[in-house]
Amino acid sequence: MSKQIAVGSSNKGDCIARVVRSDKPDIRIETRNENLFGRGLSAVIEEALSALNAPQVNLCVEEHGALDYIIRARVESAVREALPDIASWRRSVERTRNARDRLRRTRLYAPGNNPRLLVGIELHGADCVLLDLEDSVPLAEKFAARVLVKHLLAAVDLPEVWVRINPLATYGHDDLAEVMLSRPHGICLPKAESASDIMDLADELIRLEEESGIDVGSTFIMPIIETGKGVLHAEEIASADERVVIISFGAEDYTRDVGARRMQSALLFPRAKIVAACASAGIQASDTVYADIDDEEGLIRETKHVRNLGFVGKGAINPRQIEPIHSVFRPTKEEIEQARKIIAVAQEAEAKGIGAVALGGKMIDRPVLERAVRTIALGDQLGKKW
Amino acid sequence: MKNALGREIPKKVGGRILRPFEGAFATTPTGCKASRPQKTIKPGENKVLHSIEEAIESTGLKSGMTISFHHSFREGDYLVNMVLAACAHMEIKDLCLFPTALFPVHAPVIDHIKNGVVSRIEGSMNGLIGAFVSQGGKLAQPAVLRSHGGRWRAVEAGDVHIDVAFIAASQADSYGNANGIYGKTSCGPISFSTVDAQYADKTVVVTNDLAPYPAYPFEIQQGWTDYVVVVDEIGDPNSIASGTLRITRSPTRLRIARLAAAAVKASGYLKDGFSFQGGAGGISLAATKFVGEEMEREGIVGDFAMGGGTKLLVDILHRGLVRAILDGQAFDLAAAESMRHDQNHVLMDPGHYANYDSRGCATYMLDAAFLGATEVDLDFNVNVNTHSDGQLLHGIGGHQEVAAGASLTLITVPTLRGRLPVIVNSVTTVTTPGEVIDAIVTERGIAVNPRREDLRDRFIVAGLPVRELADIKREADRLIQPLRRPVFGDEVIALIEWRDGTVIDVVRRVEGWE
Repeated sequence: MSKQIAVGSSNKGDCIARVVRSDKPDIRIETRNENLFGRGLSAVIEEALSALNAPQVNLCVEEHGALDYIIRARVESAVREALPDIASWRRSVERTRNARDRLRRTRLYAPGNNPRLLVGIELHGADCVLLDLEDSVPLAEKFAARVLVKHLLAAVDLPEVWVRINPLATYGHDDLAEVMLSRPHGICLPKAESASDIMDLADELIRLEEESGIDVGSTFIMPIIETGKGVLHAEEIASADERVVIISFGAEDYTRDVGARRMQSALLFPRAKIVAACASAGIQASDTVYADIDDEEGLIRETKHVRNLGFVGKGAINPRQIEPIHSVFRPTKEEIEQARKIIAVAQEAEAKGIGAVALGGKMIDRPVLERAVRTIALGDQLGKKW
Repeated sequence: MKNALGREIPKKVGGRILRPFEGAFATTPTGCKASRPQKTIKPGENKVLHSIEEAIESTGLKSGMTISFHHSFREGDYLVNMVLAACAHMEIKDLCLFPTALFPVHAPVIDHIKNGVVSRIEGSMNGLIGAFVSQGGKLAQPAVLRSHGGRWRAVEAGDVHIDVAFIAASQADSYGNANGIYGKTSCGPISFSTVDAQYADKTVVVTNDLAPYPAYPFEIQQGWTDYVVVVDEIGDPNSIASGTLRITRSPTRLRIARLAAAAVKASGYLKDGFSFQGGAGGISLAATKFVGEEMEREGIVGDFAMGGGTKLLVDILHRGLVRAILDGQAFDLAAAESMRHDQNHVLMDPGHYANYDSRGCATYMLDAAFLGATEVDLDFNVNVNTHSDGQLLHGIGGHQEVAAGASLTLITVPTLRGRLPVIVNSVTTVTTPGEVIDAIVTERGIAVNPRREDLRDRFIVAGLPVRELADIKREADRLIQPLRRPVFGDEVIALIEWRDGTVIDVVRRVEGWE
């Protein structure tokens, strides 16, 4: 008999699934309130097992307030760890395809194996949610995390959801094979350093998309540039593949890599370089996270700074950073008024068949008009604070 | 018979004919208030006794009588257990226990129910005692749960006649003036028991700190007090009040609090002269903090905030954001401390606060309030007494009176507590009727009571996520398998009174599971 496998934790919102390979298959449930929850828990567990082709296992689930999708994930992880031949759970997931240049002011990070922080991640109004399998997940939990993220993706509606995988050289391939079964909007690739990093990922995505019957090319890529080499290759990374719609900057790793202190002047070069590379490729640039969640003033100051450099968004490590970031990217009433005038003048000119027009002595050319349209689109979010 | 909410209420329980709930403000009291026997004492008479046993003898406490207590010593209270132990020792049985509330520290009450010392309870039961009583067949008559104001009203109306009131005081003089503000083990106001002191046949003040005459403020007055008992210890100072109550750190709960504060702002009530009730629960505390920050930003000065007092409210007073705090109990040490030094931190008893049969309630002057719930239903009815498994686990507190009084009553709840849904089709027990609830604020959006279209419009204009309660429920329910529901038998475990003395619901014994 093999040793006992245990997946999950006794933290609030989680559960522990224990599997013993045994001749006597059995399902046991431990819950604080057998009367209220017992029957529902049996139903979830039985459904989870039958989706795994009803393996003969001796399973015990200890529930600590876990939602159904958490329980499904823990059961699957434990069973597959005990019986490696069992095929992954998969369910067809509907996913609307988002515009390449949709609003991405915030990407909210959540550690992939922590139900306490994952449950409710869809509620905070972030433009993008980024479920992390990389830095925030300890080595021993990588498998449980990717299974959990897969189940969350299938259970919860998110306007745009990304998964940050591990580098392909480490566990990235395993991450992709699992999470692509629930088709996230995009894959976030850490430590991107060259066009070939992106092309390798794109090749893998083609294979997995074909396998899963997803439209080939529908999965976006967000490289994170966080090394000196990555910064120097920003241009080739930005234009390496059609799937790349946004690049994020990672300041923590970057400063460590080049030996810099985390100060504005030290980050000016990589930031400016990334923005320029993205602009030339026609994609978005998003800034690094602000680590001190209690310092709202500092967050707003830094966000204004990177907005002025040309970034269109910023990472958030706590839901309470979302509104301050959005407030910076929200155009002022004056900016919206000006944008309306520009569009009106341009439309009038087009109707009359006039080529070049001016407003207040300034030429309205294509970039000016495009910027005005973007401002109006952002302004539509004005009232939407929640 | 069915009451106005369609809840099945027995016509009679024990010897008592029940009046069904008719509506939040439907009834009008008649007749006069109850009274107590006349008495006089001559100059020089001694009131001081030296043991609980002596007090029991002197008051003539006998089997079958009703004894009352207050809960200001909260989890640190010694008195309830001391008096019941003495009664057991003196073979007094069949008592009716009439506390303002019971806490987990009072678990020995369970033994006194088993050994026959206590046969009835009229008062809230937290935790273990509630779970014990919920098993059925434990008490001679169903327990009666009343709100703070409802209990006061019941005493004044003579619905409950107290034979002996035992009043724990952190400071008293030998003549029977007593308070909870001063003394070695100060607990904050003890004015929940001023009605007991005035209507009981006999009033006994019990203190561990006998001060020279006069001990003041006169929360309990010499003219009401028959005896003063001096004991070594009256309560555990470490458990009377919490240190500092913690604001929630859960992102979901913080979101609810932020939404609630934004709803207050959008409602139009947040302007100079604003008043609100801050709670002690994690979400209410956070919402109170956010409202305070908004007042500071906008330079708004409110008229008053209402306690239970907390450090957070005291800070709001000291920052000049409200002119006064009205307070009936202290939830933490800072609140008790503030009442000693700040005359704008005003002591208030539950009669002043919340009595339906009176010429005015402070809660009727409230603009906004944040309240919690164990369950809410699609008719906006709120349950704070029972859990979804039918167990009686919490008291009413001031929930009914605050909801009935405040212009804007917000129920701030998460849609799910672990696997437990909070929004249900029909609450297990109705504590507070939907007609006095204005909106339910959850992490998935705000549901506005259809009676408040004005509010709904204001919220929408302010960009708040207004949704149908049924939609919010559906979204939460998708994440969990349905609960198994208890099947209730006929035996009534407890009556839940509305604040006017009508019965809004009863708690029945769980007989099985569907």
